[in-house]
Amino acid sequence: MEETERNHIIHKIGEGVVTPLGFTADAVYAAIRRGERGGVLHEGTFGVPEPFFASILDKTHLRNSFSALTDFGCEGFTHVEMAAILAANQAIEEANIAPDRSDVQFILSTTKGNVDLLEYNPYEPERPYLWHTAQMVADFFGNPNRPIVASNACISGCAAQVEAFRQLRQGTCKYAVVVGVDMLSKFVVSGFQSFKALSPELCKPFDANRRGLNLGEAAAAIVYTIDKEENVPAGELIPEGWAIRNDANHISGPSRTGEGLLRAIQAATHGHDATRIAFINAHGTATPYNDDMESMAISRAGLTHTPVNSLKGYLGHTLGAAGILEVILSAHALRDHVAIPSAGTETPGTVAEINICYNTNDTLHQQDANAHSIQGDHFLKLISGFGGSNAALLFRIKQ
Amino acid sequence: MKELIEELKKEIIEVLNLEGMTPADIDENAPLFGEGLGLDSIDALELIVLLEKNYGIKLNNANEGKEIFKSVAVMAEYIAAHRTK
Amino acid sequence: MNYNFHIESHCRITKELVRLNDETVCRNQDGQDWLGDIYHAIGMQYPKFFKMDHQCKAGTLAAELLLHDKEFDRENVKAGWGIVLMNSASSLDDDRRYEETIRDTGNYYPSPAIFVYTLANIVTGEIAIRHKIGGESSFYVFEKFDGEQMLDLAERAFADTPDLDTLLCGWVDYDASVPDVLLCLLQRDENGAEKKLSVDKINKLY
Repeated sequence: MEETERNHIIHKIGEGVVTPLGFTADAVYAAIRRGERGGVLHEGTFGVPEPFFASILDKTHLRNSFSALTDFGCEGFTHVEMAAILAANQAIEEANIAPDRSDVQFILSTTKGNVDLLEYNPYEPERPYLWHTAQMVADFFGNPNRPIVASNACISGCAAQVEAFRQLRQGTCKYAVVVGVDMLSKFVVSGFQSFKALSPELCKPFDANRRGLNLGEAAAAIVYTIDKEENVPAGELIPEGWAIRNDANHISGPSRTGEGLLRAIQAATHGHDATRIAFINAHGTATPYNDDMESMAISRAGLTHTPVNSLKGYLGHTLGAAGILEVILSAHALRDHVAIPSAGTETPGTVAEINICYNTNDTLHQQDANAHSIQGDHFLKLISGFGGSNAALLFRIKQ
Repeated sequence: MKELIEELKKEIIEVLNLEGMTPADIDENAPLFGEGLGLDSIDALELIVLLEKNYGIKLNNANEGKEIFKSVAVMAEYIAAHRTK
Repeated sequence: MNYNFHIESHCRITKELVRLNDETVCRNQDGQDWLGDIYHAIGMQYPKFFKMDHQCKAGTLAAELLLHDKEFDRENVKAGWGIVLMNSASSLDDDRRYEETIRDTGNYYPSPAIFVYTLANIVTGEIAIRHKIGGESSFYVFEKFDGEQMLDLAERAFADTPDLDTLLCGWVDYDASVPDVLLCLLQRDENGAEKKLSVDKINKLY
């Protein structure tokens, strides 16, 4: 990445998280450090005939939390909109910015938005359109700019951040509010089932016996701004490099050789000292192909010894929220100088050998004692998805 | 069996959108995947749906399909032995 | 002010016609299978086309038209090429088709071949595979087409990605049986096209 002339750097100034393990970033991070997992067995949920494991939000809690924000309750809002607004609101409050200013840009990351309305839509006909969801969020905060939706399959959350970084660099906005959200539905669950991609048990990322992924519901938000480095407080998150690359191989199957992800890693880390990467937070969906593909890319990039973790065992694959949610949680961990062990992993086993962080102790409660202590002030976020797209984002924690 | 093979060929052409192909173009003994018709992993998943929808045969994972989808003839034999509708 | 690229060529597909640069390639006669008609009219040979949903078909046809005249290398992955697309309906046309397969409990057979297309960006993947494009692939959703927004996204991608030299950038929408495509081939050019003229041109083409 080229240095900007003005010595201004992008950094995070606010974050928000809504997941089944908690409704703030601090609460979710604490729950994960205690070893809590959001996945449970669902039978008949959403009218899906086959049982499935998933991490699903308590909707009463969601509605109550949302209603506390407004004078008019939650009437007229879908769960997707409520979760996105709640996460964005936390991030905006922490950032202490006025969201109705014209130098604030909203960017929404979602794969399916209100797709469940295709079955029954009591709202206006435009409601299932993703731009409409983004407009609802921007309107809630009185923002005058046309929002952007990044819809790039599973890498959407990272793609939305890349667009935020570009806008901040270009000076088209001073603050970017990046919000990721996806809820589960009969539509999404049945589709993944038809792909035989769901695990019949809690997922086991990078495990030799992994059998597929667990889905999860979440919303997550980050406010980024650009400022002089001396104005960035210690402990804050700074994106250092980023890249999106395509495998040009298959629309749903990951590249066997990790081609696109390798090129994304190389571009994102170009010019940076790899020994400063404390850990890699991988996509780690626990499907046989994804995890093998990532191991190939990581190994080919020469990062065989760098600790690698996956957060999917805690919150499932949260689709459009994943790329934002996992960056927030990884930043918390790096600030605490730990790499969170991958929940669910018992016996690492991928086609290329990499340094998987997992818990060697049977009792998950004792995770803190086993958290991998790490060296370095950077972490690398990896994510890949349908359409052959891969993203790598390199972050630094200000010392 | 001959009838089932013909029926299966038509169904495969239809559900997999094999444009321009007729049942006569498919050799029932040729491999469906790889060299043969050049089908891929999504086609395999769609064939699993075909088995369930048209013949009431339920496969739980994609690996079971590997043996069954060797050729149209193998598929027809499996269907004849296991069909519930 | 100039963009950091110029517009090399462009392709428009609507319900009525296909235009490549300023020439009309073909017109819709009976409308039964318009995208299939275009495929045959341009002599494309790519059986995978028939497995695609409408949005992917529309985008793939436009990319084919833009790239088929050149001696185009479809063997080696081109890392310096990228794809940035946008639309209004994401994948809703295919979403509705998929929803049909799960709507009725008595006839519940979720189709993986339809589900795989229920993501807006699959069209970037299809084009990347066909033409071996290995750089960035991104997909954005906006309410309406806006030439300035489209070219600004391209400008930011070029500015941010030093090894990007060619970008397929455009609007690829398919909703309510109506294809609506404007795909452009953009070439990095430090003394590129004047901004206002380019935006006016793109808006006029649309």
